Amino acid sequence: MHGRGGQGAVTASRIIATAAYEEGKYSQAIPMYGTERRGAPLTAYVRIDDRRVRERELVHNPDISLCFDPLISLQQAVANDLKPHGQVLLNVPFSPEKSELAGNINIATVDATSIALETLGRPITNTALLGAFSKATGVVKIESVEKAIKKYFPGRLGDMNIAAVRKSYEKVSPWVPAKNKVAPKMQVDLNVGGYGTLKDVSSWRVFYPVVDEEKCIGCKTCWIFCPEAALEWKENNKPAMIDRACKGCGVCANECPVKAIEMKRVEGA
Amino acid sequence: MSYEVMVGNKATAVGCKLARVRVAAVFPITPQTTITEYLSEIHASGELPGFEFVNAEGELSSQVIVQAATAVGARSFTCTSGPGLLYMHHPMQETASKRLPLVMAVVHRGVKSMQPDHSDLMSQQWQGWLHIYVENAQEILDTTVMAYKIAEDKRIRLPVAIGYDGYVLSYTAEPVEIPAQEEVDKFLPPYKPMPSILPDQVDPKTFGAGWGEGDPMKPWQMHHEAALNGETVIKEVFAEWGEKFGRTYGNGMIEPYRVEGADCVITAMGTIAGTATAAIDKLWADGKKIGLVKIRSFLPFPRKDFQEIAKSVGAIGVFDRSCQPGMWGPVYHQMRSTLYDEDKKVPIIGFIGGLSGKEVRVGDMYKIGEKTLKVAKGGKPEAPIQWV
Repeated sequence: MHGRGGQGAVTASRIIATAAYEEGKYSQAIPMYGTERRGAPLTAYVRIDDRRVRERELVHNPDISLCFDPLISLQQAVANDLKPHGQVLLNVPFSPEKSELAGNINIATVDATSIALETLGRPITNTALLGAFSKATGVVKIESVEKAIKKYFPGRLGDMNIAAVRKSYEKVSPWVPAKNKVAPKMQVDLNVGGYGTLKDVSSWRVFYPVVDEEKCIGCKTCWIFCPEAALEWKENNKPAMIDRACKGCGVCANECPVKAIEMKRVEGA
Repeated sequence: MSYEVMVGNKATAVGCKLARVRVAAVFPITPQTTITEYLSEIHASGELPGFEFVNAEGELSSQVIVQAATAVGARSFTCTSGPGLLYMHHPMQETASKRLPLVMAVVHRGVKSMQPDHSDLMSQQWQGWLHIYVENAQEILDTTVMAYKIAEDKRIRLPVAIGYDGYVLSYTAEPVEIPAQEEVDKFLPPYKPMPSILPDQVDPKTFGAGWGEGDPMKPWQMHHEAALNGETVIKEVFAEWGEKFGRTYGNGMIEPYRVEGADCVITAMGTIAGTATAAIDKLWADGKKIGLVKIRSFLPFPRKDFQEIAKSVGAIGVFDRSCQPGMWGPVYHQMRSTLYDEDKKVPIIGFIGGLSGKEVRVGDMYKIGEKTLKVAKGGKPEAPIQWV
């Protein structure tokens, strides 16, 4: 399961695990934690079995890949390492024929972001994908998903989320084999395990820091406060973002005493 | 009985509730933090009558607070991880020397990384506690309750540490059966403060003070014998749990998996033992007869069990998730010492893996099984101890 911090992918993994147990199966939901923050890509894994799941390695060759984020849905990484004829369910506002994901896989799509905005008023897409998951894969019944949701979201919030589930159950597309068979060579690594400084976290950014060198007084406050050591110090005594290391948290802009750093929105994010 | 899909850390908190813990003193540290959150929720809800929750200012204090609480007769709990456990080092020794039967969860976090390995709890081997390593959320809940019964047994009277891996278990959700409170109450009677273990002490009682004029080594001998009694008491308590609740974990000391008829066995602790079961199934399916012995109790070490197992196998492959630099893995050394005096010499080879959270996969355990089998069939190991 691929999503971004704040979209509820970890909760979704637990809802699926609970729904499966409701149907008499054993289950396990493992979240993958890195130096997470809201908006950073994250992964969660679910296993369902007839007996207690004792294996505890991460799921490296899944049967099904779920994608909660429209931009991550465009990354080939979500379709890699699937078993042959594996299923990829994407949150995108277009039909599966238009997806560029490659491999011996089947693709289904649903516009979970729009469903979430209509039913919850916020782009939290987890439950808006779970109805589609139930319909398209048949792994768990929609009734079990709804029962599980009531355990995690009691009251009105539960009702809103169940509305999202029902809507996505109706709207999900049929499965379509991927039109591309060969994956592109250039790919973004979605693995966020370990520390941000060791990984390329450029895909996490929704905003990035831009320094106004006229205003900057060279005090190094931004450099001291940056939690990921993602600012380098240039010869002219001004800071610059290290593309690979900056996760876009905005701490530098917040701490700058002369407000010389502006957080600009990444195009398409 | 009810059930809930819950993470490992919640299973710990629910276990504490079922054991009717009176005092919890904790300081948060990743990946243990959510235990403290669940405990504070239990406290706020009022569902556990008389429960005191103390936000300690550090791990040293949290250990001292539960020490005092246990001494005056309150069943107590604390928990920590990695560096937090190291900070607790000094009072941990006192807890055991004062023979105070509290329970602590150690959510493994390595000493070189935030990710899990067993280097935190292994570094506390000399503190005089019993160490139990568990594999899944159900086992955490069950063992938390059982640990109080073991700790409070008059033959033991020692603190028990329950170790389990951070992240892949502490934050992983899985179905857990929650036994009914009435049933647990029948299993675990209320805790009463114990008199000093010194026979010549009357009121007022002191804990941990000087030993008077007697042999200064006497408390060490009594402490050591009590720890060795663990082998008997752990088996008794787990057998009773199995009868009452229908869930068993081997004999409590070890949990064998497909050992019968195996040419050799491998050993593992904690979550890696779970992953190893999948490798064992694959090995048998490929005609390779290799069993798994999950070591649950590291202190005391299951000496009698391994002396028995050694009679029927051709080699033992020992997996260590910690390394004492300059001395290799602690489980490896225990195993060799355990079997040194046996008439039949069984080759023992060591494997060190999963350090600083490196993922141990089914394929890794499969290869360890194959390497051990090769030695059982008379082959020479590439090295007596290998990095995985």
